[in-house]
Amino acid sequence: MPGLFDRLDKEIKEKQKEGGITPLDLAKLPPSLRKIMRLMLREMQMSYPRICEVMDAMPENDRLTRDELDSALSSLSEQFWLIRIGEKEKAIYKVNLRRKAGSALMAGIWSSLNEKLKKPSTDSK
Amino acid sequence: MAGKIVSIHSFRGGTGKSNVTANLAAQVAMTGMRVGVVDTDIQSPGIHVLFGLDEQKMGKTLNDYLHGKAAIREVGFSVGENTGEGEGRAQLAGRNIFLFPSSIRGAEISQILQEGIDFNRLNEGLQTAVAEFDLDYLFIDTHPGLNEETLLSIATSDVLLIILRPDNQDLQGTAVTVDVARSLDVPNLFLLVNKALPKYNNFEVIKSDIGAKFDAAVTSVLPLSFDMAENASNDLFSLRFPDHEWSKALKSIVPFILNAK
Repeated sequence: MPGLFDRLDKEIKEKQKEGGITPLDLAKLPPSLRKIMRLMLREMQMSYPRICEVMDAMPENDRLTRDELDSALSSLSEQFWLIRIGEKEKAIYKVNLRRKAGSALMAGIWSSLNEKLKKPSTDSK
Repeated sequence: MAGKIVSIHSFRGGTGKSNVTANLAAQVAMTGMRVGVVDTDIQSPGIHVLFGLDEQKMGKTLNDYLHGKAAIREVGFSVGENTGEGEGRAQLAGRNIFLFPSSIRGAEISQILQEGIDFNRLNEGLQTAVAEFDLDYLFIDTHPGLNEETLLSIATSDVLLIILRPDNQDLQGTAVTVDVARSLDVPNLFLLVNKALPKYNNFEVIKSDIGAKFDAAVTSVLPLSFDMAENASNDLFSLRFPDHEWSKALKSIVPFILNAK
């Protein structure tokens, strides 16, 4: 029977498929949110109390009020730029990076290239 | 202290990025630090050559990790325990330096190009490598130009070292990279000029001009060296020829890395 961890892991993976943020999107965020997102990339995930702690330590000019922070986290989660597990004080947030798309070259080109690369070269002999 | 991520980047190819990355990582490891080197230049990997790896010796790769076929701890190759041939590399024996190579098998490179990259997994791999190998520094050798994986490594870096040649094409491209790095709040942004013509003998002028142009610290100016070219990436040049001008100039970058906040 799957445990709590397995279920949460599955839930995260499902949500990750639905979109994500690119580093250029990150550059356009307000400084305080960008700082939190960067930290989240390094720590991989952050709890809501930890996010509040980081926000409270920021210079006053950059700091968001609790309402502004909650609204920003909610908006980022709705866009799937953040994945939220749990609610309110117990929520854990994780950055969801957009997958790099594969090449748009026709699939036939890749399978042909793969076949060539798998065969030992005879041309150089 | 949490391990620091150091991205080494250049806007254009041919700047000597992999050579600088490998030599700098080796010099930092020689100070006693635990160092990792990850090759995120998945499309055109090359840094493994400087650490004496070839297709036969290469075990699990970053490609295996990205495809879920290996854990990141299986990808880390201990250079200190496998220095191989090369007088320079031999000095790394017993040092804590780990290489996370990209695959050089054509089919695996084309698979990545075809399927794309899961950046959540790549980022987790980088952070997990720092934690599991207890690294003080993780050097990332990036693909030249501004592609998505390069931007990700810039976004997660504590230190970004941008390499450029004293060439107008490099200068213009570097301006773009510096702008992007600043918009991503990289805490430590440094420049390095490589392949400067020794005949001009004006490295201090080059350093101050480029520093002023980009409003960033220029860590060093490395000369264009035929000795370095003759080495042909067979060994770690700065360890093999420590008294060479190129090596001395490279070693002067180390304090910038160690003192970065």
